[in-house]
Amino acid sequence: MNQWKNFSKGFFKENAVFTLLLGMCPTLGVTSSAINGLGMGLATTFVLIMSNIVVSLVKDLIPDKVRIPAFIVIIASFVTVVELSMQAYLPALFESLGLFIPLIVVNCVVLGRAEAFASKNGFLSSMIDGAGMGLGFAMALTILGGVREFLGSGKIFGITIYPEQYGMLVFVLAPGAFIALGYLIAIINKLKKA
Amino acid sequence: MAKTESTLVNMVLALLIITAVAGGSLGMVYKVTKEPIAAAKLAKQKKAIEQVVPGFDNNPTDEAYELTSKEGFALKVFPCKKGEELLGVAISTKTEKGFSGEIKVMVGMKPDGTIINYSVLEHKETPGLGSKMQAWFRMDKGNQSVLGKNPKTTKMVVSKDGGQVDAITAATISSRAFLDAIMVAYNTYMDNTDAHSSATTKSKGGQS
Amino acid sequence: MSTLTISPSPHVHSGDSVKKNMYGVVIAMIPALLFSVYNFGIGTLSVVITSVLACVFFEYVIQKYLLKGEVTITDGSAIITGILLGFNLPSVIPLWIIVIGALVSIGIGKMSFGGLGNNPFNPALVGRVFLLISFPVQMTSWVKPGVLPMSFADITSGATPLGLMKEAIKTGQTPAQILETLPSYSDMLWGFTSGSAGEMAGAAILLGLVFMLVRKIITWHIPVAVLGSVYIFSALLHLADAAIYAPPTFHLLSGGVLLGAVFMATDYSSSPMSNKGGIIFGIGIGVITVAIRVFGAYPEGISFAILIMNAFVPLIDKYVKPKRFGEKPAVAK
Repeated sequence: MNQWKNFSKGFFKENAVFTLLLGMCPTLGVTSSAINGLGMGLATTFVLIMSNIVVSLVKDLIPDKVRIPAFIVIIASFVTVVELSMQAYLPALFESLGLFIPLIVVNCVVLGRAEAFASKNGFLSSMIDGAGMGLGFAMALTILGGVREFLGSGKIFGITIYPEQYGMLVFVLAPGAFIALGYLIAIINKLKKA
Repeated sequence: MAKTESTLVNMVLALLIITAVAGGSLGMVYKVTKEPIAAAKLAKQKKAIEQVVPGFDNNPTDEAYELTSKEGFALKVFPCKKGEELLGVAISTKTEKGFSGEIKVMVGMKPDGTIINYSVLEHKETPGLGSKMQAWFRMDKGNQSVLGKNPKTTKMVVSKDGGQVDAITAATISSRAFLDAIMVAYNTYMDNTDAHSSATTKSKGGQS
Repeated sequence: MSTLTISPSPHVHSGDSVKKNMYGVVIAMIPALLFSVYNFGIGTLSVVITSVLACVFFEYVIQKYLLKGEVTITDGSAIITGILLGFNLPSVIPLWIIVIGALVSIGIGKMSFGGLGNNPFNPALVGRVFLLISFPVQMTSWVKPGVLPMSFADITSGATPLGLMKEAIKTGQTPAQILETLPSYSDMLWGFTSGSAGEMAGAAILLGLVFMLVRKIITWHIPVAVLGSVYIFSALLHLADAAIYAPPTFHLLSGGVLLGAVFMATDYSSSPMSNKGGIIFGIGIGVITVAIRVFGAYPEGISFAILIMNAFVPLIDKYVKPKRFGEKPAVAK
């Protein structure tokens, strides 16, 4: 398999957020700013790469009937590792992502890749697939976070672009997440057709 | 390598090994990160205290004690000292009169009750309205600021109700609640220290 | 060229058209507009004009350049959205906020769903709620009514009766005590209270309702169901505990209930097709409105209530179908 294609499909063609609409909970929940989106995206990428690697290595040892519980345990372990290390070394980021880190466990992207890709492919392909899908997810979350932060508070990555009082607060709140995501998907679909 | 078959023994064995390995490695990670996590939590609390009472050199968390307010809230008091001198106290106070429930505030006061600084720890007020309180009551504009004022001489009530503090535009209820939280801290601390002649005496009144 | 016209049915027109109905609604809103200008002065006028112009402009731009389709701004629907949006804003709101509201109303509320007739939500309300959440300070800076204040300097700020009531109940006063300090019911009916530009003049709105009923632009079902359920539900609460729940007449006359019931809940594309469905729809709006006012965080709930019930319209239409023309009711054997 062409590894470059394998890697790049996660960004556009099979982007988890914009095309597959997977992992909507963290997508809508944490993207109130670009930095939150990036942090969540990178945390998910780490879990995705690690779980894909481990699943592809042990796929032959796990009997088919118990593969889902086995995958979940593997994923949950890596999520806990991320949670503990973030709490220890990046307490500020942990504060703002807080509740959503444990939810990576049930993020459909992670389990979806383990089930659909890593359990059928080799070690290298799975790792690259995890990296591609994860970084694509991170990119989508960062874009969405950036758009919401820009429209909501006039900043991108905390850098003021226009005065905050003109910002539309709704974009920082939950309804704005749905509106912004909807229009981003519409734009991406338009680009894809072109 | 052939795929393992789904027999009972295989399934139990596979799950057992996976959970054992996962459990073991998590235990290790927990051990490694335990101390940094505790340190991060302490640092966070210390930072919050430093923000409201700057310049102390003791460890306020070690000397913290609890006071019970008239409303029955348990307030944590952190005495901040430089050498032997009591610079002030950081009191983590709260109110239930917020627009959407509880508001938690850390407020720093000099021993005589003059407000040094404050920091809103937790709130559920309306974004864009009540949520402005973190910045509002320190802005030096009109009668907004509460910093450097003593509730003994300044009436800590919104001007609409006959007090001397300007409320947040369109968020009178949140403003009232914020001032209430500060007054809870002030009254409780003053009530408990007046009984003792020296302000540096540790009042254990709240624990009895 | 053939002189025969081949077209699907209906072949006989009653002379009814989208245009005619839409302009009927516009005419019905004129008394409320005049009254509001009388109360709030130049502010209302500039708010409503800005809102209408911005709505028509965005509809034109989106239809012509984004959708590259037929431009239908002359059908009057964008004008109605514009007037309703203006009616729902305080009369001293900065004009750039109105333009954002118009963009949201037309762009998100209407055109994203395919334009007139396809929008599941009332576009003006989508715009209003978007602004309310985005700019809470500006959206709740009401002015006290005066007689024809012609400059902005004459304007004094004042809270709405609903806001005052909510705040006072929170501090432990009873509704009866508060009512004494509020404008009288007749002042509220005539619109001499603080509030959004077009929602206060109850009598003028009712005049518009009568006009629309006589011209058969709308039927009585939705407005009556909304107003009736607001009255009954708040009366029940008031009877249960008069010390914390305001009397029903207060709920009926304050805030945007009248405007919402008459002009916004009756929007064609976002309300149920059948009369029976309209009644269910109206009752839902009334109950949710009072529930938000009494138990919720916001003092006023009619806009949220209408939007929430808008979302139920497809479901209502699915179960309460209008009778087919000529269909006979099934007779039990």
